[in-house]
Amino acid sequence: MVEFTLPANSRPTKGTVHKAESGATNVRAFHVYRFDPDTGDNPRIDTFELDLDKCGPMVLDALIKIKNEVDATLTFRRSCREGVCGSCSFNIDGTNTIACTKPISEIKGDVKIYPLPHMPVIKDLVCDLNQPYAQYAAVEPWIKADTPPPNRERLQSEEERAKLDGMWECILCFCCQTSCPSYWWNGDRYMGPAVLLQANRWIQDSRDEATGDRLDELDDPFRLYRCHTIMNCSNTCPKNLNPGRAIGEIKEALAKRL
Amino acid sequence: MAAANRPLSPHLQVYRPQITSIISILHRITGVALAGGTLLFTYWLTSAAYGAEAFERSQALLGSWFGLLVLCGFTFSLYFHFANGIRHLFWDVGQGFEMETVRRTGWMVAIFSVVATIVTWIFFCPWLGGA
Repeated sequence: MVEFTLPANSRPTKGTVHKAESGATNVRAFHVYRFDPDTGDNPRIDTFELDLDKCGPMVLDALIKIKNEVDATLTFRRSCREGVCGSCSFNIDGTNTIACTKPISEIKGDVKIYPLPHMPVIKDLVCDLNQPYAQYAAVEPWIKADTPPPNRERLQSEEERAKLDGMWECILCFCCQTSCPSYWWNGDRYMGPAVLLQANRWIQDSRDEATGDRLDELDDPFRLYRCHTIMNCSNTCPKNLNPGRAIGEIKEALAKRL
Repeated sequence: MAAANRPLSPHLQVYRPQITSIISILHRITGVALAGGTLLFTYWLTSAAYGAEAFERSQALLGSWFGLLVLCGFTFSLYFHFANGIRHLFWDVGQGFEMETVRRTGWMVAIFSVVATIVTWIFFCPWLGGA
Protein backbone atom coordinates (compact mmCIF):
# COMPACT_ATOMS: atom_id res chain seq x y z
CA MET A 1 0.00 0.00 0.00
CA VAL A 2 1.07 3.54 -0.64
CA GLU A 3 2.25 5.21 2.56
CA PHE A 4 4.10 8.44 2.02
CA THR A 5 5.32 8.88 5.60
CA LEU A 6 7.41 6.61 7.79
CA PRO A 7 5.84 4.70 10.72
CA ALA A 8 6.43 6.33 14.11
CA ASN A 9 9.18 3.87 15.09
CA SER A 10 11.10 4.54 11.85
CA ARG A 11 11.51 8.31 11.92
CA PRO A 12 15.20 9.16 12.32
CA THR A 13 16.28 11.48 15.11
CA LYS A 14 19.43 13.58 15.38
CA GLY A 15 22.42 11.51 16.45
CA THR A 16 25.97 12.13 17.58
CA VAL A 17 28.38 14.44 15.78
CA HIS A 18 31.96 13.16 15.62
CA LYS A 19 34.21 16.12 14.88
CA ALA A 20 37.23 15.82 12.63
CA GLU A 21 40.63 15.68 14.33
CA SER A 22 42.18 19.11 14.78
CA GLY A 23 44.48 20.16 11.98
CA ALA A 24 42.45 18.38 9.30
CA THR A 25 42.20 20.56 6.19
CA ASN A 26 40.12 18.55 3.70
CA VAL A 27 37.09 17.80 5.88
CA ARG A 28 33.87 16.26 4.62
CA ALA A 29 30.82 15.42 6.73
CA PHE A 30 29.23 11.97 6.38
CA HIS A 31 25.66 11.64 7.67
CA VAL A 32 25.05 7.98 8.34
CA TYR A 33 21.79 6.24 9.26
CA ARG A 34 22.13 4.30 12.50
CA PHE A 35 19.75 1.86 14.14
CA ASP A 36 20.56 -0.19 17.21
CA PRO A 37 18.13 -3.13 17.65
CA ASP A 38 19.24 -3.62 21.28
CA THR A 39 17.93 -0.27 22.56
CA GLY A 40 14.60 -0.12 20.76
CA ASP A 41 15.21 3.61 20.15
CA ASN A 42 14.25 5.22 16.89
CA PRO A 43 16.92 5.29 14.18
CA ARG A 44 19.25 8.30 14.27
CA ILE A 45 21.51 10.14 11.86
CA ASP A 46 25.10 10.28 13.10
CA THR A 47 27.55 12.74 11.59
CA PHE A 48 31.19 11.81 11.05
CA GLU A 49 33.64 14.46 9.91
CA LEU A 50 36.51 12.86 8.03
CA ASP A 51 39.79 14.20 6.69
CA LEU A 52 39.62 13.17 3.03
CA ASP A 53 43.40 13.55 2.76
CA LYS A 54 43.65 10.50 5.01
CA CYS A 55 40.85 8.50 3.38
CA GLY A 56 40.56 6.32 0.28
CA PRO A 57 38.64 7.67 -2.73
CA MET A 58 35.41 5.67 -2.48
CA VAL A 59 32.42 5.97 -0.15
CA LEU A 60 33.18 2.45 1.10
CA ASP A 61 36.67 3.63 2.11
CA ALA A 62 35.04 6.30 4.26
CA LEU A 63 32.69 3.78 5.91
CA ILE A 64 35.60 1.45 6.67
CA LYS A 65 37.62 4.37 8.04
CA ILE A 66 34.73 5.30 10.34
CA LYS A 67 34.42 1.70 11.54
CA ASN A 68 38.18 1.34 12.08
CA GLU A 69 38.95 4.70 13.64
CA VAL A 70 35.80 6.39 14.97
CA ASP A 71 32.97 4.02 15.83
CA ALA A 72 33.54 0.28 15.65
CA THR A 73 29.83 -0.43 16.17
CA LEU A 74 28.93 0.94 12.72
CA THR A 75 27.43 -2.03 10.88
CA PHE A 76 27.28 -2.53 7.11
CA ARG A 77 27.70 -5.29 4.53
CA ARG A 78 30.77 -5.27 2.31
CA SER A 79 33.02 -7.83 0.71
CA CYS A 80 34.80 -7.53 -2.62
CA ARG A 81 35.40 -3.74 -2.66
CA GLU A 82 35.45 -3.79 -6.49
CA GLY A 83 31.85 -3.89 -7.67
CA VAL A 84 31.32 -7.60 -8.26
CA CYS A 85 29.74 -8.91 -5.04
CA GLY A 86 26.82 -6.49 -4.63
CA SER A 87 27.04 -6.35 -0.83
CA CYS A 88 27.68 -2.67 -0.09
CA SER A 89 24.54 -1.30 -1.73
CA PHE A 90 23.13 1.74 0.06
CA ASN A 91 21.21 4.90 -0.65
CA ILE A 92 24.08 7.33 -1.15
CA ASP A 93 23.53 11.00 -1.94
CA GLY A 94 19.87 10.33 -2.74
CA THR A 95 20.19 7.42 -5.14
CA ASN A 96 21.01 3.76 -4.70
CA THR A 97 24.47 2.54 -5.61
CA ILE A 98 27.29 0.35 -4.36
CA ALA A 99 29.65 2.24 -2.04
CA CYS A 100 32.81 0.57 -3.37
CA THR A 101 32.56 2.07 -6.85
CA LYS A 102 31.05 5.44 -5.84
CA PRO A 103 33.79 8.10 -5.65
CA ILE A 104 33.39 10.59 -2.80
CA SER A 105 34.52 13.28 -5.25
CA GLU A 106 31.32 12.75 -7.32
CA ILE A 107 29.22 13.94 -4.39
CA LYS A 108 28.66 17.65 -3.80
CA GLY A 109 28.53 18.75 -0.17
CA ASP A 110 27.81 16.44 2.75
CA VAL A 111 27.58 12.72 2.04
CA LYS A 112 24.33 11.12 3.15
CA ILE A 113 24.27 7.35 3.53
CA TYR A 114 21.04 5.46 4.24
CA PRO A 115 20.10 1.79 3.95
CA LEU A 116 18.36 0.66 0.75
CA PRO A 117 14.97 2.44 0.75
CA HIS A 118 11.70 1.01 2.09
CA MET A 119 13.19 -2.13 3.61
CA PRO A 120 13.10 -3.46 7.20
CA VAL A 121 16.33 -2.44 8.93
CA ILE A 122 18.20 -5.07 10.97
CA LYS A 123 21.00 -2.79 12.16
CA ASP A 124 22.47 0.47 10.86
CA LEU A 125 22.92 0.08 7.08
CA VAL A 126 22.01 -3.61 7.02
CA CYS A 127 18.48 -4.27 5.84
CA ASP A 128 16.51 -7.49 5.62
CA LEU A 129 16.68 -8.81 2.03
CA ASN A 130 14.65 -11.98 2.60
CA GLN A 131 11.75 -10.76 0.49
CA PRO A 132 13.72 -10.05 -2.72
CA TYR A 133 15.70 -13.28 -2.23
CA ALA A 134 12.44 -15.25 -1.92
CA GLN A 135 11.16 -13.54 -5.06
CA TYR A 136 14.41 -14.42 -6.82
CA ALA A 137 13.95 -18.07 -5.82
CA ALA A 138 10.36 -17.92 -7.09
CA VAL A 139 11.47 -17.27 -10.69
CA GLU A 140 13.50 -20.52 -10.52
CA PRO A 141 16.74 -19.01 -11.81
CA TRP A 142 18.27 -22.13 -13.31
CA ILE A 143 18.09 -23.89 -16.66
CA LYS A 144 15.05 -26.07 -17.09
CA ALA A 145 15.05 -28.52 -19.99
CA ASP A 146 13.13 -31.73 -20.63
CA THR A 147 15.38 -32.96 -23.41
CA PRO A 148 18.10 -35.22 -22.06
CA PRO A 149 21.45 -33.50 -21.65
CA PRO A 150 23.82 -34.00 -24.59
CA ASN A 151 27.29 -35.48 -24.13
CA ARG A 152 28.72 -32.02 -24.43
CA GLU A 153 27.59 -28.42 -23.71
CA ARG A 154 24.19 -27.22 -24.89
CA LEU A 155 25.25 -25.09 -27.83
CA GLN A 156 24.12 -21.56 -28.62
CA SER A 157 24.66 -19.38 -31.67
CA GLU A 158 26.55 -16.14 -31.10
CA GLU A 159 23.27 -14.24 -31.56
CA GLU A 160 21.50 -16.38 -28.97
CA ARG A 161 24.33 -15.87 -26.51
CA ALA A 162 24.35 -12.12 -27.15
CA LYS A 163 20.75 -11.90 -25.89
CA LEU A 164 22.03 -12.65 -22.38
CA ASP A 165 24.46 -9.73 -22.38
CA GLY A 166 23.28 -6.99 -20.05
CA MET A 167 21.59 -9.57 -17.80
CA TRP A 168 24.21 -12.08 -16.69
CA GLU A 169 26.30 -9.19 -15.30
CA CYS A 170 23.72 -8.44 -12.58
CA ILE A 171 25.27 -8.75 -9.12
CA LEU A 172 21.94 -8.78 -7.22
CA CYS A 173 22.79 -5.70 -5.16
CA PHE A 174 19.06 -4.74 -5.26
CA CYS A 175 19.83 -1.08 -5.91
CA CYS A 176 17.22 -1.09 -8.70
CA GLN A 177 14.73 -3.17 -6.72
CA THR A 178 14.65 -0.64 -3.88
CA SER A 179 14.72 2.44 -6.15
CA CYS A 180 11.34 1.52 -7.61
CA PRO A 181 8.30 3.31 -6.14
CA SER A 182 6.09 0.47 -7.39
CA TYR A 183 8.21 -1.94 -5.37
CA TRP A 184 7.98 0.35 -2.34
CA TRP A 185 4.18 0.30 -2.42
CA ASN A 186 3.58 -3.27 -3.65
CA GLY A 187 6.79 -5.16 -2.86
CA ASP A 188 4.82 -8.02 -1.32
CA ARG A 189 3.25 -8.87 -4.67
CA TYR A 190 5.31 -7.09 -7.35
CA MET A 191 8.50 -8.97 -8.27
CA GLY A 192 10.56 -5.81 -8.74
CA PRO A 193 13.13 -4.87 -11.40
CA ALA A 194 16.09 -6.98 -10.19
CA VAL A 195 14.05 -10.16 -10.01
CA LEU A 196 12.30 -9.52 -13.32
CA LEU A 197 15.67 -8.92 -15.00
CA GLN A 198 16.73 -12.33 -13.68
CA ALA A 199 13.48 -13.86 -14.89
CA ASN A 200 14.12 -12.43 -18.35
CA ARG A 201 17.67 -13.80 -18.29
CA TRP A 202 16.10 -17.30 -18.37
CA ILE A 203 13.17 -16.40 -20.63
CA GLN A 204 15.62 -15.20 -23.29
CA ASP A 205 17.99 -18.16 -22.87
CA SER A 206 17.77 -20.34 -26.03
CA ARG A 207 18.76 -23.44 -24.02
CA ASP A 208 15.89 -23.10 -21.56
CA GLU A 209 12.73 -25.06 -22.44
CA ALA A 210 10.39 -23.68 -19.79
CA THR A 211 9.78 -20.27 -21.41
CA GLY A 212 6.00 -20.80 -21.52
CA ASP A 213 5.80 -21.75 -17.84
CA ARG A 214 8.00 -18.84 -16.87
CA LEU A 215 5.73 -16.41 -18.76
CA ASP A 216 2.63 -18.03 -17.21
CA GLU A 217 4.04 -17.38 -13.74
CA LEU A 218 4.62 -13.71 -14.47
CA ASP A 219 1.41 -12.98 -16.41
CA ASP A 220 -0.20 -11.28 -13.42
CA PRO A 221 -1.41 -7.74 -12.67
CA PHE A 222 0.99 -7.52 -9.74
CA ARG A 223 4.00 -9.78 -10.31
CA LEU A 224 4.89 -8.18 -13.66
CA TYR A 225 2.46 -5.43 -14.52
CA ARG A 226 3.05 -3.24 -11.46
CA CYS A 227 5.94 -1.99 -13.57
CA HIS A 228 4.84 1.40 -14.91
CA THR A 229 8.11 2.07 -16.72
CA ILE A 230 9.15 4.67 -14.15
CA MET A 231 12.78 3.78 -15.03
CA ASN A 232 14.31 4.68 -11.65
CA CYS A 233 15.76 1.15 -11.84
CA SER A 234 17.87 1.64 -14.95
CA ASN A 235 18.76 5.14 -13.82
CA THR A 236 20.36 3.85 -10.62
CA CYS A 237 22.00 0.54 -11.63
CA PRO A 238 25.67 0.70 -10.57
CA LYS A 239 26.55 -1.79 -13.31
CA ASN A 240 24.79 0.28 -16.00
CA LEU A 241 22.37 -2.53 -16.78
CA ASN A 242 18.81 -1.90 -17.93
CA PRO A 243 16.18 -3.72 -15.85
CA GLY A 244 13.50 -1.45 -17.35
CA ARG A 245 14.27 -2.79 -20.81
CA ALA A 246 14.34 -6.38 -19.51
CA ILE A 247 10.82 -5.94 -18.11
CA GLY A 248 9.77 -4.44 -21.45
CA GLU A 249 11.07 -7.59 -23.15
CA ILE A 250 8.98 -9.81 -20.86
CA LYS A 251 5.86 -7.74 -21.61
CA GLU A 252 6.67 -7.99 -25.32
CA ALA A 253 7.12 -11.78 -25.10
CA LEU A 254 3.72 -12.04 -23.40
CA ALA A 255 2.06 -9.75 -25.96
CA LYS A 256 3.48 -11.73 -28.88
CA ARG A 257 2.34 -15.02 -27.38
CA LEU A 258 -1.32 -14.00 -27.15
CA MET B 1 14.36 -7.94 19.00
CA ALA B 2 11.34 -9.17 17.10
CA ALA B 3 11.54 -8.72 13.35
CA ALA B 4 8.15 -7.01 13.44
CA ASN B 5 9.65 -4.05 15.30
CA ARG B 6 12.29 -3.38 12.71
CA PRO B 7 12.08 0.18 11.40
CA LEU B 8 11.31 0.83 7.75
CA SER B 9 14.20 2.53 5.98
CA PRO B 10 13.46 6.02 4.57
CA HIS B 11 12.23 6.06 0.96
CA LEU B 12 10.45 9.15 -0.44
CA GLN B 13 12.07 11.15 2.36
CA VAL B 14 15.58 10.54 1.01
CA TYR B 15 15.28 9.44 -2.61
CA ARG B 16 16.38 12.19 -4.98
CA PRO B 17 13.61 13.34 -7.37
CA GLN B 18 14.77 12.76 -10.93
CA ILE B 19 13.48 13.06 -14.47
CA THR B 20 12.38 9.40 -14.49
CA SER B 21 10.22 9.48 -11.37
CA ILE B 22 8.93 13.05 -11.79
CA ILE B 23 7.64 12.44 -15.32
CA SER B 24 6.08 9.17 -14.19
CA ILE B 25 4.17 10.66 -11.27
CA LEU B 26 3.10 13.63 -13.43
CA HIS B 27 1.74 11.13 -15.96
CA ARG B 28 -0.48 9.68 -13.28
CA ILE B 29 -1.51 13.05 -11.83
CA THR B 30 -2.38 14.45 -15.26
CA GLY B 31 -4.32 11.25 -15.99
CA VAL B 32 -6.45 11.81 -12.91
CA ALA B 33 -6.80 15.51 -13.80
CA LEU B 34 -8.01 14.57 -17.29
CA ALA B 35 -10.71 12.33 -15.83
CA GLY B 36 -11.86 15.22 -13.60
CA GLY B 37 -11.56 17.67 -16.49
CA THR B 38 -13.76 15.50 -18.67
CA LEU B 39 -16.47 15.73 -16.02
CA LEU B 40 -16.08 19.51 -16.05
CA PHE B 41 -16.32 19.53 -19.83
CA THR B 42 -19.48 17.40 -19.63
CA TYR B 43 -20.93 19.84 -17.09
CA TRP B 44 -20.28 22.72 -19.48
CA LEU B 45 -21.95 20.90 -22.42
CA THR B 46 -24.91 19.80 -20.31
CA SER B 47 -25.42 23.32 -19.02
CA ALA B 48 -25.74 24.49 -22.61
CA ALA B 49 -28.45 21.90 -23.21
CA TYR B 50 -30.21 23.02 -20.01
CA GLY B 51 -30.87 26.54 -21.16
CA ALA B 52 -29.50 30.05 -21.37
CA GLU B 53 -29.47 30.69 -17.63
CA ALA B 54 -27.56 27.52 -16.77
CA PHE B 55 -25.13 28.11 -19.61
CA GLU B 56 -24.45 31.64 -18.42
CA ARG B 57 -23.74 30.29 -14.96
CA SER B 58 -21.24 27.73 -16.25
CA GLN B 59 -19.63 30.33 -18.52
CA ALA B 60 -19.22 32.66 -15.54
CA LEU B 61 -17.74 29.86 -13.45
CA LEU B 62 -15.26 28.73 -16.10
CA GLY B 63 -14.50 32.32 -17.07
CA SER B 64 -13.58 33.36 -13.54
CA TRP B 65 -9.88 33.55 -12.68
CA PHE B 66 -10.18 30.23 -10.84
CA GLY B 67 -12.05 28.61 -13.74
CA LEU B 68 -9.40 29.79 -16.18
CA LEU B 69 -6.67 28.45 -13.92
CA VAL B 70 -8.37 25.04 -13.85
CA LEU B 71 -8.78 25.12 -17.64
CA CYS B 72 -5.12 26.05 -18.00
CA GLY B 73 -4.21 23.01 -15.89
CA PHE B 74 -6.56 20.92 -18.03
CA THR B 75 -4.73 22.04 -21.18
CA PHE B 76 -1.36 21.21 -19.67
CA SER B 77 -2.64 17.81 -18.51
CA LEU B 78 -3.93 17.05 -21.98
CA TYR B 79 -0.62 17.91 -23.69
CA PHE B 80 1.51 16.19 -21.06
CA HIS B 81 -0.49 12.97 -20.92
CA PHE B 82 -0.73 12.87 -24.72
CA ALA B 83 3.01 13.37 -25.27
CA ASN B 84 4.08 11.00 -22.51
CA GLY B 85 1.50 8.51 -23.76
CA ILE B 86 3.37 8.41 -27.07
CA ARG B 87 6.56 7.79 -25.08
CA HIS B 88 4.82 4.84 -23.42
CA LEU B 89 3.69 3.50 -26.81
CA PHE B 90 7.32 3.42 -27.95
CA TRP B 91 8.28 1.52 -24.81
CA ASP B 92 5.41 -0.91 -25.47
CA VAL B 93 7.05 -1.90 -28.75
CA GLY B 94 10.47 -2.15 -27.11
CA GLN B 95 11.93 1.18 -28.25
CA GLY B 96 13.57 4.01 -26.34
CA PHE B 97 14.81 2.12 -23.28
CA GLU B 98 18.39 3.44 -23.36
CA MET B 99 18.84 5.70 -20.33
CA GLU B 100 20.10 8.54 -22.52
CA THR B 101 16.94 8.31 -24.63
CA VAL B 102 14.72 8.00 -21.55
CA ARG B 103 16.18 11.22 -20.13
CA ARG B 104 16.01 13.06 -23.45
CA THR B 105 12.41 12.07 -24.26
CA GLY B 106 11.41 12.87 -20.68
CA TRP B 107 12.68 16.42 -21.01
CA MET B 108 11.11 16.67 -24.49
CA VAL B 109 7.69 15.78 -23.01
CA ALA B 110 8.12 18.31 -20.20
CA ILE B 111 9.23 21.16 -22.47
CA PHE B 112 6.66 20.37 -25.17
CA SER B 113 3.72 20.35 -22.77
CA VAL B 114 4.70 23.66 -21.15
CA VAL B 115 5.33 25.40 -24.49
CA ALA B 116 2.18 23.96 -26.10
CA THR B 117 0.09 25.10 -23.13
CA ILE B 118 1.48 28.63 -23.31
CA VAL B 119 1.03 28.84 -27.09
CA THR B 120 -2.53 27.53 -26.87
CA TRP B 121 -3.48 30.07 -24.23
CA ILE B 122 -1.87 32.98 -26.04
CA PHE B 123 -3.91 31.90 -29.06
CA PHE B 124 -7.23 31.45 -27.29
CA CYS B 125 -6.96 33.69 -24.26
CA PRO B 126 -9.63 36.46 -24.32
CA TRP B 127 -7.49 39.19 -22.73
CA LEU B 128 -4.60 38.52 -25.08
CA GLY B 129 -6.74 39.04 -28.16
CA GLY B 130 -7.39 35.38 -28.90
CA ALA B 131 -10.73 33.86 -29.80
